[in-house]
Amino acid sequence: MTTELLKVEHLTRLFKIGGALSRRTLHAVDDVNFTIGEREIVALAGESGSGKSTIARVLAQLYKPTSGQVYFEGKPLSAIRSRAERLRYSSLVPMVFQDPFASINPVFRVSHGVLRSLKLHRPELSEAQRREEAARVFEVVGLNPDMLQRFPYELSGGQRQRVGFAQALAMKPKLILADEPVSMLDVSIRIGLLNLMAKLRDSEGVSILYITHDIASARYVADRLIVLYAGQIAESGPIEDVLTHPRHPYTQLLLSAVPDPRAPLSVAAETDHGEPPRVIDPTPGCRFRWRCPLAIGTCSQVTPELAELRPAHSAACHVAQNSPEEVKAFTP
Amino acid sequence: MADEPVLEVSGLSVDYILDRGNVRAVDDVSFTVSRGEFLGIVGESGCGKSTLLFAVAQLLSPPARLAAGTIEFQGQNLVGLTDDQLSAVRWRDLSVVMQSAMNALNPVKTIGAQFRDAMRAHGQRHDKEIAARSAEVLTMVGIDPVHLHSYPHQLSGGMRQRSMIAMALLFTPDLIIMDEPTSALDVVAQRSLMVQIKELQQAFGFAVIFVTHDMSLISHFSDRLMVMYAGQVDELGATRAIFDRPLHPYTEGLLEAFPSIRGPRVPLRGIPGNPPDLAKVPSGCRFHPRCPYAVDECSEIAPDLYPIEDSLVRCLRRKDGSLTP
Repeated sequence: MTTELLKVEHLTRLFKIGGALSRRTLHAVDDVNFTIGEREIVALAGESGSGKSTIARVLAQLYKPTSGQVYFEGKPLSAIRSRAERLRYSSLVPMVFQDPFASINPVFRVSHGVLRSLKLHRPELSEAQRREEAARVFEVVGLNPDMLQRFPYELSGGQRQRVGFAQALAMKPKLILADEPVSMLDVSIRIGLLNLMAKLRDSEGVSILYITHDIASARYVADRLIVLYAGQIAESGPIEDVLTHPRHPYTQLLLSAVPDPRAPLSVAAETDHGEPPRVIDPTPGCRFRWRCPLAIGTCSQVTPELAELRPAHSAACHVAQNSPEEVKAFTP
Repeated sequence: MADEPVLEVSGLSVDYILDRGNVRAVDDVSFTVSRGEFLGIVGESGCGKSTLLFAVAQLLSPPARLAAGTIEFQGQNLVGLTDDQLSAVRWRDLSVVMQSAMNALNPVKTIGAQFRDAMRAHGQRHDKEIAARSAEVLTMVGIDPVHLHSYPHQLSGGMRQRSMIAMALLFTPDLIIMDEPTSALDVVAQRSLMVQIKELQQAFGFAVIFVTHDMSLISHFSDRLMVMYAGQVDELGATRAIFDRPLHPYTEGLLEAFPSIRGPRVPLRGIPGNPPDLAKVPSGCRFHPRCPYAVDECSEIAPDLYPIEDSLVRCLRRKDGSLTP
């Protein structure tokens, strides 16, 4: 394990829903713990509504956590008070968004965003140095520096998403929060972006939180995988180990549903017609129990805790934790 | 393909009439769909696959215009039919499931009311029969008929997409055209919907044209596959054959662009460059600027679709029917 860069402890984020008199709360993220090391790509995977984007927004300080704490380089985020500290954090932990068509201002040249964030976050640079730095980050992300003079409409989706990474990179970040950065791109150019993410880790030493619902692309770039279900971590560990020895029935279901032309058609997922629940005022118990073929009595009474079942590989499942052998609910 | 085709498209071209000139979005596309067949159409955004579907269903609206070609559906040329003649065919014999069920369903009407509208428009007058058939099709796609009284927002994305398919099944059509019906769904819901479509198809024997950008999704479901690039057909053949031995470099690139969750972790290249702007397509073979095998003549000679075994391939390397590169 590398040096710890970011640590999330008992992170909970609730949303009040319904009218003004409603007392109902949606548990978007519920008691989540994980860490991200230096030079590490961590994939956060789950279905829509599993809370993965909420976690990213808390880390980007767009939401305040309801409870729990996030530590960056050992210091809690809640201790950030001054504007200078906040700017420093957001330059060290920038975000790259899902939609490359909506995340770049269409009325300015591409250089505008990069130069502006350089001016804000690295005021020590002169104007000439800023231009140099902008050209450098464009080259790192595989764009011709001439592109800086283009308008966003002149760029393809893949190029725009590279601009998004260039903007993030200009701030000399430690950790990039990438929320589904390739899901809106064409298949033929996705790999290029994934390769870029791996390059940023290897040559620039940046860590990336890669939020995705695509397990195959997660496996392609990530070092570790965190599987979220209904706001909680179902399973986490080194990605190869999780994929080859998935212990949580939900991970097994997810893997069995990934379309793979190279493998014979699996039938496991067909038995499942369930959907992830919206977690409103939950009672104790495993949130996957309604869809789980292995559910036992305990599952409806006690919320399972994450427990290490293999080296560095944990799952929150009563059945998996109590069986000496691997239990297969769904065969991937 | 012994039996007669349900659909026979030949020489279909669609233009977009724009201020800066005409853009040919679909260029001389021909294919057939047999009774009960599942045809997958694969391509990236802007390759003309959705325009092609709209043309087949005769749903093109300006600035798109059918420039050439015929669409024979059950022996009747759909091109040139009046709206009245078309609406008799649409939904009854040929139905369309659109990409986003969120936008395709009317948000202020219950599912049942929308089913009723469709059936009344096709001459079904008896409320009892309408109710019975509505409940029947909803059950077929695995939704409890109580949801006939639900509004679209009360259903999950997967259920909305299923009810769209149920709606397409109201009259047991011979052909259902689906435009990325699963793209808004999560993997688990996506897989179960695909399986359901396949089961319904086997039970009722309708043919399916399924458009998607995700080749791996249909690898186990489609009989034949048509790969489109820049408005043209690049490769057309049996799905298994294409996956086992892609003959067009673009198909090969697409297959290489998918990481797998199994086997060794290998670096992938994807396809360099971007899909071309249809207003300025490259000379010669449209794929040559991105093609790893391109030679000089590729930028000069526009390749035809060459037959190889049971496939058609638009690549000069296959001109003399050779399988090896």
